[in-house]
Amino acid sequence: MLASVKNLFLQAIGTHEGGRLTAHQRRFAVLGLIPILIWVFVFVLFPIFWVVLMSLFSYTPIREGGWFLGLGGNNPFVGLGNYIELFTGMTKSARIFRQSIGNTFLFSLLAVPLSVFTALPMAVVLESVHQRVKSFFRFVYFLPVITGSVAVTIIWQYVYAPNWGLLSQLFKFLGLTPPRSWLSDPTQVYFGIPLAMIAVTIVYVWVTFGYNTLLFIAALQGVPTIFREAARIDGANAWQEFWLIIMPLLRRTILLASVLTVISTLQQFVLFQLLTRGGPAYQTQTILLSVYQNAFVYAENMGMAAAMSIFLFLILFVLTVIQFRLLRTEWEY
Amino acid sequence: MLKRLNPFVLLSRSAAYIVLIAGLTFTLLPFIYVMLASFKTNAELMRVPPTFIPETPTLDNYTTVLTDPDISLTRIFYNSGIVAIARTFLTLLISSFAGYLFARYHFTGKNLFFGMILAQLMIPFQVVMIPIYLLTVKMGLIDTLWALVIPMLIDAYGIFVAKQFVESLPGEVMEAARIDGASEFGIYWRIVLPQLGPALASLGIVTFMNSWNDYLWPLIVITSSEKRTIPLLLVWYSTQHGANQGRVLAASIITLIPIFIVYFLAQRWIVEQSAQSAFK
Repeated sequence: MLASVKNLFLQAIGTHEGGRLTAHQRRFAVLGLIPILIWVFVFVLFPIFWVVLMSLFSYTPIREGGWFLGLGGNNPFVGLGNYIELFTGMTKSARIFRQSIGNTFLFSLLAVPLSVFTALPMAVVLESVHQRVKSFFRFVYFLPVITGSVAVTIIWQYVYAPNWGLLSQLFKFLGLTPPRSWLSDPTQVYFGIPLAMIAVTIVYVWVTFGYNTLLFIAALQGVPTIFREAARIDGANAWQEFWLIIMPLLRRTILLASVLTVISTLQQFVLFQLLTRGGPAYQTQTILLSVYQNAFVYAENMGMAAAMSIFLFLILFVLTVIQFRLLRTEWEY
Repeated sequence: MLKRLNPFVLLSRSAAYIVLIAGLTFTLLPFIYVMLASFKTNAELMRVPPTFIPETPTLDNYTTVLTDPDISLTRIFYNSGIVAIARTFLTLLISSFAGYLFARYHFTGKNLFFGMILAQLMIPFQVVMIPIYLLTVKMGLIDTLWALVIPMLIDAYGIFVAKQFVESLPGEVMEAARIDGASEFGIYWRIVLPQLGPALASLGIVTFMNSWNDYLWPLIVITSSEKRTIPLLLVWYSTQHGANQGRVLAASIITLIPIFIVYFLAQRWIVEQSAQSAFK
């Protein structure tokens, strides 16, 4: 009798923080989570360990290697050889890789202001209109975000088609002469930026514009209306309200959006693979594209590709830490 | 508050709408143009000076794509569809169950375990795609649709969200159920899961669309033409028929229709999910 009451009691308090769970419940939880633990191990933790290890070898899956993951043996251990080769070597793929680092940073540098600072005013404007209108525009602006990247590139390949594409025809319509080619002319460089890179960046901005706008709308809705009304009462017009009230309060969101955009630009694959494939003359070759090509197209040295991806990972890791830090700090108004 | 219709207010109002319309044009122009172009003949497409509205509209492009003997559109749609559905369903199941377990149960090593799962958020897919590819080969899953599902099953973000959600649920309901004799799994299935409904809907839609639109991973693991997903098919088609741009555009429009329908019906969830995910 007493035992069953005790059991009932134990069961009742079983879910409280720090409360005692019955052995049965504990077993249930652990059993349920074991498959997940295994999966995380196999597909998350083990691969990261493997890729680091692989980067220390000259490895290709075609060759017969040693007993452990095919490493060693005919796939010799090279230590930091791959890394040294990437940063100081004179082979073609090493030089292309170094160029890809510059290109990737250039892309991020272009994309962030274009993407973030067009979305911010748009979000402010959208917040100020009627709900129905706002929903409609939000629906439209988000369309490119949900259109798959492949469809996006096909659409923009048409826009950028030399001579008869939409953009060239627009130019002719306005009386201007369009460039011979938007995506494949290595001689078109403006202020040191290849036209092809500008073209790809515009596509990227087109795709992510809706998402960033949404982000800022959410942030704006978090701004207490008290501040904005107080500003209005004090006689500020819309322009002053924007610069003196909204901008400072949204500083953290702007920073967050920028970091998210940089992280996203580093992971862009489809745009570069399908619009330009890294051309012309490697002007749009990105780090990720190099990783993919070295690992799956020229399969001579996956170890090298692994080293490239570790480099990419380090950059992304730092950025992600910054992102989490930004989120963790107090959102004080 | 009295709305004063002074010229300044009017000016800023119309400035707002100009900005909105400009954004609309920038966003929609490529879509509209592509849609119109898909109804043009090849000759008309290349014409200079250009035409906006097709002068000799034709459905040829669409019929060619739909009746192409080289590709089985239904098969490819089926591939993309089944992969997306399976992946979404399984991911939601696992995320909600794991979130529930992490929220309500305590055991040694729980925080360590949760930390390991969150580690996935720090490790982007592109960094580990090489080993995961080799793993897939070793598991004999290369060129199967399963390869598109299994490595993608655990969504750390989904587990995180589910855990937070379950933690916010009142514990009394679960205890009452427990006292009434429900099994641990029954509590999850009958009580917690229904409550998670809206959150799961948002997560699910986004997972579905990510799966549907994924290109890089299917490109790596799928090699035979019958197992292709829609993005792979589109790319193949555009290289095959590159000279006939109208057909390629028609093919793209065809594949966009289901996604647009899903978006139209589920936009609230998609938009809501995307806005929240950044702040988590």
